[in-house]
Amino acid sequence: MRYNRRYALGATLLALAFVAVACGSGGGTTGTTSPKGTLTVGVSGGFAENQIVAEMYAQVLEHAGYTVKRQLDIQNREASEPALKSGVIDLKPEYIGTLLLFVNPQASASADPAQEASALKPLLAATGITLLNYSQANDTNAFVVTKATADKYHLAKVSDLASVAGQLTLGGPPECPQRPFCIPGLKTTYGVTFGHFNPIGACDSATADALDAGAIDVALLCSTQSVISAKGWVALEDDKHLQKADNIAPVVRTSVDNAEINRLLNAVSAKLTTENILPLNKAVEIDHEDAAVVAKKFLQDNGLLS
Amino acid sequence: MHAMSEFLRWLTTSSHWSGPSGIPSRLLEHVQLSALAVGLSLAVALPVGLFIGHTRRGEFLAVSVGNLGRALPSFGILAIVFPFALRYLPGSIGFWPTFIALFLLGIPPVLTNTYVGIQNVDADTVEAARGMGMSGRQVLMLLEVPLAVPLIVAGLRTAAVQIVATATLGAVFGWGGLGRFIVDGFALRDNAQILGGAFLVAVLAILTEVGLGLLERALSPRLTSRERGRGRVRDELAFAPPGQ
Repeated sequence: MRYNRRYALGATLLALAFVAVACGSGGGTTGTTSPKGTLTVGVSGGFAENQIVAEMYAQVLEHAGYTVKRQLDIQNREASEPALKSGVIDLKPEYIGTLLLFVNPQASASADPAQEASALKPLLAATGITLLNYSQANDTNAFVVTKATADKYHLAKVSDLASVAGQLTLGGPPECPQRPFCIPGLKTTYGVTFGHFNPIGACDSATADALDAGAIDVALLCSTQSVISAKGWVALEDDKHLQKADNIAPVVRTSVDNAEINRLLNAVSAKLTTENILPLNKAVEIDHEDAAVVAKKFLQDNGLLS
Repeated sequence: MHAMSEFLRWLTTSSHWSGPSGIPSRLLEHVQLSALAVGLSLAVALPVGLFIGHTRRGEFLAVSVGNLGRALPSFGILAIVFPFALRYLPGSIGFWPTFIALFLLGIPPVLTNTYVGIQNVDADTVEAARGMGMSGRQVLMLLEVPLAVPLIVAGLRTAAVQIVATATLGAVFGWGGLGRFIVDGFALRDNAQILGGAFLVAVLAILTEVGLGLLERALSPRLTSRERGRGRVRDELAFAPPGQ
């Protein structure tokens, strides 16, 4: 306890010293501030994937000559959305399906990202926020099985479950039996009825643990959870489009937005896919690499920093 | 008021009272697991407490275990045991982690109350019993335990009430019990269900408290009760050698 406190004090003093130095140099030499101005990049929530994409946005903007501040520790949308509106942050990566339901709980999210984006755009515009192009990286619900289960029952798509689901146990969030994306939707859209359902958690490690140990056969996880690729599991293709699309897209305060920013951020969106963000999440979540380093490597590999 | 009527409607909806996820089966799961955990806590902590109280050895250990046990968060234990239990212990998801966390929760009150109860028996009385030629075992079983019973049962009551209330946590890790209504209600933002679940747990905890309170009274030595002067302890004391 005492040690922690001492470290905390030390860290605070160190931070203050840096701030003092930064202020001093900033005030002294006006040449260091960018002519293009300063942008503050935030996140929609404090988790790895969001922070990696936010780093991508920050780095392409820096590369183009903007001064960028980072606010990558905002915990959730309840905080990040007001922060964006009030100008505490200027832009952040978002998930279009979830954001749509956040700004309008009555809206109907769909499996088609284009439809969601067109519904979302005017809602955001009314609050002074511009939605840029969404990427093909879709962080949505996925029914996941182990490689062994997939091989045993020849599973690749959710519809493949129809004939065998009666012998299988599904694990997922407790709201699953009531929500259209889960048990009711599986039944009506796919004709899939599981033999048993075990309520555990939403997109969390407990559900993944249960799948790993064989306590459940099918898990409802988030499609970009790094454990899926780390364990070599199979995310069944949602071939009848039950899940809402939750593609990652930049949202920018309209008052700071310009054609160059749009071009830079849209270029990032053009390169991001569900498949290529998975290893990035793993690098940060499982291998504990630095999000900034992981993001930089991705940008370099995709020619976004040249 | 709206919440209240929704809550009453939830409680009185007949479909909530049947099936594997209905109130009776959840209640049964809850009571079964709680009883198992209380039973095992008692089976482990009672002998150890008796030994420590009687021999006055290992008190430091008992105090440490008691205090440490109180400081351990049940939720943390559940989370740590969960992945191991999935892999190495059979049975339904969440059963073992919940059981182990509750078992550990039950130990400190039973252990502490038992050895304190035994230790608090008047030293002169113990001395007198030994002087009468009672063996160590007789002193323990005929004198110390009967006198310590109120405190031991009070410890058991504390353990049981805590266990019944904490068993709700199991639902977070996939186990059933009455916590299911609270956790599922939260996931569904169904306040009536949350309130219903919490209400049932509270009722069960109160019944546990009252039930074990009655047991405590029934088992207490009746030295102080004038109307029931012929209690067990007095009978033992009737052993007194002539001339006393």
